[in-house]
Amino acid sequence: MMDKLKLGVFELTDCGGCALNILFLYEKLFDLLEFYEITEFHMATSLSEGNHYDVALVTGTVSTQRDLNLLKEARNHSEYLIALGTCATHGSVQGSVELPIREKLKAVYGDGGNPMRALDSKPVVEYVAVDFALPGCPYDKEEVYQVLMDIAKGIEPVRKDYPVCLECKLNEYECVLVKKGLPCLGPITYGGCKAVCVRSGLGCIGCRGPLPGEVNPASEYEILKGLGYDDEYIVRKFKTFARWEP
Amino acid sequence: MIIEMREFTRVEGNGKAEIVIEDGEVKDVRLQIIEGPRFFELLTLGRHYYDVPDIEARICAICYLSHSVASVIGIERAFGVEVPEEITLLRELGLIGEFLESHSLHLYLLVAPDVFGYPDAIRMATKHGELVKEGLALKAFGNRLRVIVGGREIHGINVKPGGFGRYPTVEELEEIERESEALLRLARRAVRLFAQLGPYGAKAKHFVATDGYLWGEKLISDEPGEFHYTERIEERSLVYSFAKQSLYKGEAFFVGALPRLLLKSEMLTPTAKRLFEEHREKLSTGYVSYNNLAQAIELVYSLEKANEIAKTLLDRGIEGENVPVEPREGEGIGYVEAPRGLLIHHYRTDASGNISYSNIITPTALNHAMIEASLLKEARELYGEVDEGRMIGRLEETVRAFDPCISCSVHLVKL
Ligand code: SF4
Ligand code: SF4
Repeated sequence: MMDKLKLGVFELTDCGGCALNILFLYEKLFDLLEFYEITEFHMATSLSEGNHYDVALVTGTVSTQRDLNLLKEARNHSEYLIALGTCATHGSVQGSVELPIREKLKAVYGDGGNPMRALDSKPVVEYVAVDFALPGCPYDKEEVYQVLMDIAKGIEPVRKDYPVCLECKLNEYECVLVKKGLPCLGPITYGGCKAVCVRSGLGCIGCRGPLPGEVNPASEYEILKGLGYDDEYIVRKFKTFARWEP
Repeated sequence: MIIEMREFTRVEGNGKAEIVIEDGEVKDVRLQIIEGPRFFELLTLGRHYYDVPDIEARICAICYLSHSVASVIGIERAFGVEVPEEITLLRELGLIGEFLESHSLHLYLLVAPDVFGYPDAIRMATKHGELVKEGLALKAFGNRLRVIVGGREIHGINVKPGGFGRYPTVEELEEIERESEALLRLARRAVRLFAQLGPYGAKAKHFVATDGYLWGEKLISDEPGEFHYTERIEERSLVYSFAKQSLYKGEAFFVGALPRLLLKSEMLTPTAKRLFEEHREKLSTGYVSYNNLAQAIELVYSLEKANEIAKTLLDRGIEGENVPVEPREGEGIGYVEAPRGLLIHHYRTDASGNISYSNIITPTALNHAMIEASLLKEARELYGEVDEGRMIGRLEETVRAFDPCISCSVHLVKL
């Protein structure tokens, strides 16, 4: 039998969701384990035996010196590195606090300086080159399964390049922007989540990050203005998950 | 001399501990939460109330719904909004889903390997596959409830001030009724299994919980009287940890499954209450390691309660009406029992409904001092008695008993 690929999961600063989502694959996780051997995943195992990874999944933002060291280690020891989740690809929520780190620390912890070496939260893609970026807060678990299977079979995974809107159309969900006047970022957000929030009758909050290319944030801006939302509201809404762009 | 424990494994988030040795004795233990700070209170300042619960959900993936519900309740209290029973029952159903998802993740995938001597559940599965499967079945059902009520397995946005985006269907409620009954057998087995774990860690002197089983208007403790957190709980910053430490009247205290059982056993469902009585003597000693057993009993509680709620809602039918929410200047606190323990969201709002003050205290921060006290006690007992590897192994198990949720501990603020 062919040797299994070595898989490492590295968690920087985040909510744990993107790592947890791997465990939520349930029996599909066991399918993956036909091809992969997990050699680093500290949420799930006390073993840590890797010094070389065929695939490294990195979740979270770089928010401390420790995170940065860990990221570099993951990059230096892996063949194929995936920035997994919106924290890693766009900074997600913690990346959107715009104050300099010193002021943030002061507001939260008082005048203790920075003994633990906190950094301003930035996505993984700001520091190292990644082989694949899979956004989502969290990403859809079917997607990571597909990507890992593709890699195991020697196929380069494809990045989705359509907005959430398309998924609403495919699932025949009523457009909440047009029908209910709810603020929905679906038109300018990376699809791939099956428009699950619109399924609940709510507007997309943009958790998969902005879709680059031909889509036009300006027109979305105009629509929201038309619905009566003010500038600051719209700007903050746009930046909730993505102050940094990959 | 300092013995450094490497980063904890099989806990959620990044933390470690240092054991300070002086003159051949354990002098001190420092719990270091090294997960970077995420500044949630700053993040929500100035934001419109409607968007806030969805942002707060991102504090923690394992208990996202507890955060959204605590946030929603805090906001509703600030605005003076009251919701009908249907909405509270559904929120409870979601919180129960989270208990099931989180406790079974913790017990079966993170703790069980300690019981059987494996580094993880995947490797344990070769010999104890059935058990791992049972754990996954409970977890999957918990997640199913989180999807139905919360909108997604992780970070759903369905829970809103005043109600929900979408309400469950009759079919979904029937499914919940059926499944919760079918899974009860597994949960009872879990109680037998985790009753085998012995006493370790410190004995807690104080317990704190919400006055209702799953959420509350105020807090209760082992001392008489209901109170708001500001009356008895104080927070302080530490130079060695991104999590702040909380003290109850100046002392370490315990929040979580064990404190809930000890303070609120009369609110348990029938089988859960019986199991609690069966193990009461043991549990009442207050050893933190019995938190694992308490979680197993809560699996039983959760399934019985889910069944009860589904039945009630099927009998009365679901109206699916949201309550109108009118923003106003105000102040409100949401107290919720996250799987790991008490969760506090405290907000002030301005007249247009934007957040002007926010304070969030999470279970791990509340337990921070208690975790240190437990590590200190274990380290004192074991240092010099067993080799360092074994001591550290036991210390890690002690931390794990708290089921600490480290990512959620790192963003506490007093502005
Ligand atoms: S992207 Fe979202 S779900 Fe993933 S780790 Fe970050 S905050 Fe959590
Ligand atoms: S609909 Fe929008 S907010 Fe919801 S999961 Fe998809 S991208 Fe995220």
